[in-house]
Amino acid sequence: MNISINWINDYVDLSGIEVDELVKRFNLSTAEIEGVEFKGKNINNVVFGKILSVDNMPQSDHLHLLKVDVGDEVLQIVCGAPNVYEGMVTAVCKVGGSVCAGKIKATKLAGVESFGMCCAEAELGIGSDDDGIMDIKEPVKIGEDIKNVWPIDDVVLEIDNKSLTNRPDLWGHYGIAREFAAIFGRELRKMPVVDLNEYSSLKPISVNILTDNCFRYSSISVENINEKKSTREMAIRLNYAGMRDINLLADLTNYVMLDLGLPMHAFDNKLVTGINVIESDGNMTMLTLEGEEHKLPKNAMIIADKDKTPVAIAGIKGGLKSGITDETNSVLFEAAVFDCENVRKTSRSIGLLTDASQRYEKSLDPELTPVALARILYLLMKIDENVKVTACLSDCYKKHYDKVQIELDPKFISKIVGTDISKEFIIKTLTALEFGVKEQNGILVVDVPSFRATKDVSIKEDLVEEVARLYGYDNIQPLPLAFDCEPQKLIKSIEYEYDTKLLLAEKYNANEIHSYLWNYEDFNKINKIESKSYVSLLDSSNAGQSGIRSELIPTMLRCLDENKNYYEDVRVFEIGRVVSGLDDENNCIENKKLSILFASQNKSELELFTEMKTAIFDIASNVMGVQLMLEEGDTVGYLHPVNSFRIKSHTADYGYLGVIHPEVKKSIDKRFNVVALEIDFEKLANSVKQTKKIKNVSKYQAVDVDFNILCNEDMKYIELTNILSKFKSKILSGYSLVDIYQNKETLGNKKSVTLRFNLSSFDHTLSGEEIEKFRNDFVEFLTKNQLEIRL
Amino acid sequence: MELENINQTEKQFDEESSSVDSLETLESLRVKFLGKKGFITDIMAKFREVPVELKKEFGQKVNALKNKIETKIEEIKTSLAQKAIDAEIKNTKMFDYSLPVDTKTGSLHPRTIIQKQVCDIFKNMGFVVEDGNEVETEYNNFESVNVPKNHPARDMQDTFWLNNGELLKTQTSAAQNRILRTYGPVCKVIFPGRVFRNEELDARHENTFFQLEGVVVGKNVTVANLIYFEKAMLKSLFKKDIEVRLRPGFFPFTEPSYELDAKCPFCGGTGCHTCGNSGWLELCPCGMIHPNVLRMAGIDPDEYNGFAFGLGFDRLVMIRTKLDDIRYLNSNNLKIMSQFKTNM
Repeated sequence: MNISINWINDYVDLSGIEVDELVKRFNLSTAEIEGVEFKGKNINNVVFGKILSVDNMPQSDHLHLLKVDVGDEVLQIVCGAPNVYEGMVTAVCKVGGSVCAGKIKATKLAGVESFGMCCAEAELGIGSDDDGIMDIKEPVKIGEDIKNVWPIDDVVLEIDNKSLTNRPDLWGHYGIAREFAAIFGRELRKMPVVDLNEYSSLKPISVNILTDNCFRYSSISVENINEKKSTREMAIRLNYAGMRDINLLADLTNYVMLDLGLPMHAFDNKLVTGINVIESDGNMTMLTLEGEEHKLPKNAMIIADKDKTPVAIAGIKGGLKSGITDETNSVLFEAAVFDCENVRKTSRSIGLLTDASQRYEKSLDPELTPVALARILYLLMKIDENVKVTACLSDCYKKHYDKVQIELDPKFISKIVGTDISKEFIIKTLTALEFGVKEQNGILVVDVPSFRATKDVSIKEDLVEEVARLYGYDNIQPLPLAFDCEPQKLIKSIEYEYDTKLLLAEKYNANEIHSYLWNYEDFNKINKIESKSYVSLLDSSNAGQSGIRSELIPTMLRCLDENKNYYEDVRVFEIGRVVSGLDDENNCIENKKLSILFASQNKSELELFTEMKTAIFDIASNVMGVQLMLEEGDTVGYLHPVNSFRIKSHTADYGYLGVIHPEVKKSIDKRFNVVALEIDFEKLANSVKQTKKIKNVSKYQAVDVDFNILCNEDMKYIELTNILSKFKSKILSGYSLVDIYQNKETLGNKKSVTLRFNLSSFDHTLSGEEIEKFRNDFVEFLTKNQLEIRL
Repeated sequence: MELENINQTEKQFDEESSSVDSLETLESLRVKFLGKKGFITDIMAKFREVPVELKKEFGQKVNALKNKIETKIEEIKTSLAQKAIDAEIKNTKMFDYSLPVDTKTGSLHPRTIIQKQVCDIFKNMGFVVEDGNEVETEYNNFESVNVPKNHPARDMQDTFWLNNGELLKTQTSAAQNRILRTYGPVCKVIFPGRVFRNEELDARHENTFFQLEGVVVGKNVTVANLIYFEKAMLKSLFKKDIEVRLRPGFFPFTEPSYELDAKCPFCGGTGCHTCGNSGWLELCPCGMIHPNVLRMAGIDPDEYNGFAFGLGFDRLVMIRTKLDDIRYLNSNNLKIMSQFKTNM
């Protein structure tokens, strides 16, 4: 919203305060100023001039050669405006002067010298008309600088609308002026209005409110309006505030809106008789002033005439048919307050956001409606003294806001702010903001003004804010907190999360990604990945992305797909959330999961599988202290039916790991071997840590003995170790796998598994005989179990 | 005669030792003179034949010669070892030290890196680091943090509603109620997390982004405490003193509410690209926790109060990474993501 300081000065005298200071204090005390514009700064040496002659130019079909009297001289000016005529008074920028577009120099146009420029309103930044040069009708002195007569010099503050969301009182200049008055301790002047009681003897217009969503509807009727144009000052202010000047009546309604923050509307009395405020049945349409047809949703509020013909969308936009035109000389002025939510919903639904709807959404004060009418009448009468009020104030006040009164212990403010703020300062500040303050036994009884009581101020904490912001946060001395120094608890799954990620990145060269929470249904379908969604978004901007994911691997596969053309190896992981089901109350069951994907054009599936098994066992064992194992069992459809396995510990099942299904592989990119895993990260992190026992080491020398055990090539290592677990020996402290050797030519269908046995005793050095006995016993054991030693 | 022999032997040793050039010849020299059957042994064997009056002199000379030979052999040994090392060094081929090396590692997401740094700061300040669900109930996301029933934020336009009536949390505040209930009326907790808004994407807007929020609740907590705390936190974050300013803000869950701006740590307030030439970074929405929020978490606002604050987490990530498009953060673009490594 744009705020004109000239306008503000109508209500509070800000003289002597630098613009920088105004901006700084307003920023810190009220709302954010995003920009400052110094209007008129680039308008120089522009004077009133009278066109003495207009000659056509043979060289051009649209240029004219003018002789223009600018007081002290007559200038020859070549002008392209279509509306020039002899005797026209206009604004002339002399050579060396400047307008919005820049400096004006003596120049040649179509070969003819031109000394200056006749200006359109838009070129001076004071109006919207750029169809032709200014045609000035008001009496002016030829040769006088226009800035001496018109208030062109101004400072315009651009206030961030978002920072005014909660302040319906700040959507007009008067409210902003009230803030400045309070901030700088200056007097806030009363807004000049007429006394509506003077017309109480007249008959009112008939107004019926047939909805609960209209709080108050006030109107008044005026005729014999002959002036058509706003004053220059009003037009300039409207333009500086970001609106266009249109005609007197439209300008007046806009001007009062920018004054008070309450939108107004004017209906042509010839077209509208009687007012009904109704709600749409869902089938109504309205052709608005812009000429656009809108279908009005059910419950949208409509202003209709006595026959219930819609004439305006309440609080949003007027209808084309009832709108004022240049011929209008008799109007009905509307000042009303509508329910904020209803206006917001209608506005969003029909996609029409207007200056009016924007204000109504903020919960406007219904007390303002008669003030707005008194104000518009005052302004109108100042411009056109012959107007006649034909109907007195008709005022339907259906719904009042509760009066808000707050009891405030002045000490409460100091207690919350953390610095001493005197009772006098509190009273002074609240009074300046037009709160009513009475003191009773040391307690302040505060009456919240109606314009702050629609939602903004209701509890004593709100008053803390009012006082503290004007006290100035920069005047508060920061103070450390007084707290115990108790150690805080660490949450395992959060601590482990970082350690896990770091390990995967640093040791396993994997890249962390973050992906969206929804499934990519098209991608999954094309690549034959079936992945369930237990819930979906009601309104997703992208079709096929509304199902919430229940698994991470499909996301990882999509990442592979997006990167497959740039890399030979893709190694990615994510710790992310999924919805894995619904509980009895139909609420989502959410899990934090870890997924890893290794894909390579160079490594075999077995190599990738082994790397990934290493990675997850490493994480579980070294980060979380959980010993994992893989087990055969069902996993998911997009993993390989043979080579995919459950990831378990002795007590729990955490997820699965496997090669992707050949069909999926072929569909994504057959060059890549792909292995992926998915585990319930929180479950793993919260598993009971298995405290590792530190093994005692014998003081006596230990001996390693290697055996090459021949077994069938299909025999799983776990089958072998199951057999070996039955072998007992006092001197065997453990064994480990050294190598597995396969060679069709020499070993046929067998493989040779080399195990290293560690032999030791805690009470003596082993003798050669003992070792020899171990060898013999072990070979005998193997033979009994249909295994043999390869020598 | 025997003394003559000693001199002769010494002379011979001097001669032969001067031409020793390897450990092998040195060893044969040692055997020849000091060995069991060597010259010194031979000479010593003749001791009995030496006349009594010469025995003393003979003995001394033999010993002196023996010592001299031993010393000399040690000397030669040392010098040969030195020569061998010199030769080895001389023959060493220099590496091509300029060949490139592979320092490849994987990478953490930049959010992870910064979250770790920020969380460490808060942990040092005695905060618990918590976490929250991404799917939330309407109650947790809105009601419990005092967002009124008809607040615009609840509209379809801003919130991703789910078909079971729940929603994707629009703000980390959705976890406030649970956290206040869990940690009780005296606590310091932060909870970073992913939040969702139904928005059109562009270089500055995402529908999925990160926030970090924290609460401090106790007795007699003040705005002055809030300012002190924010300054301390920002000082750790940017590793220098940061000037801050508080402006009035509006959030339903706090009253009074503030926007806390940090004097831009990159330009010092003169205006730069990062702060959009304003000299200030709008980083921390904050305020004193609304009494209704405390009440709904079972905390008596007349006895306890506190403040809550947010940190524009993705903003911070964008500033630190100098990425120009927020959409990279949720992309699978490994060309970008793999550059972050594990530290920044």
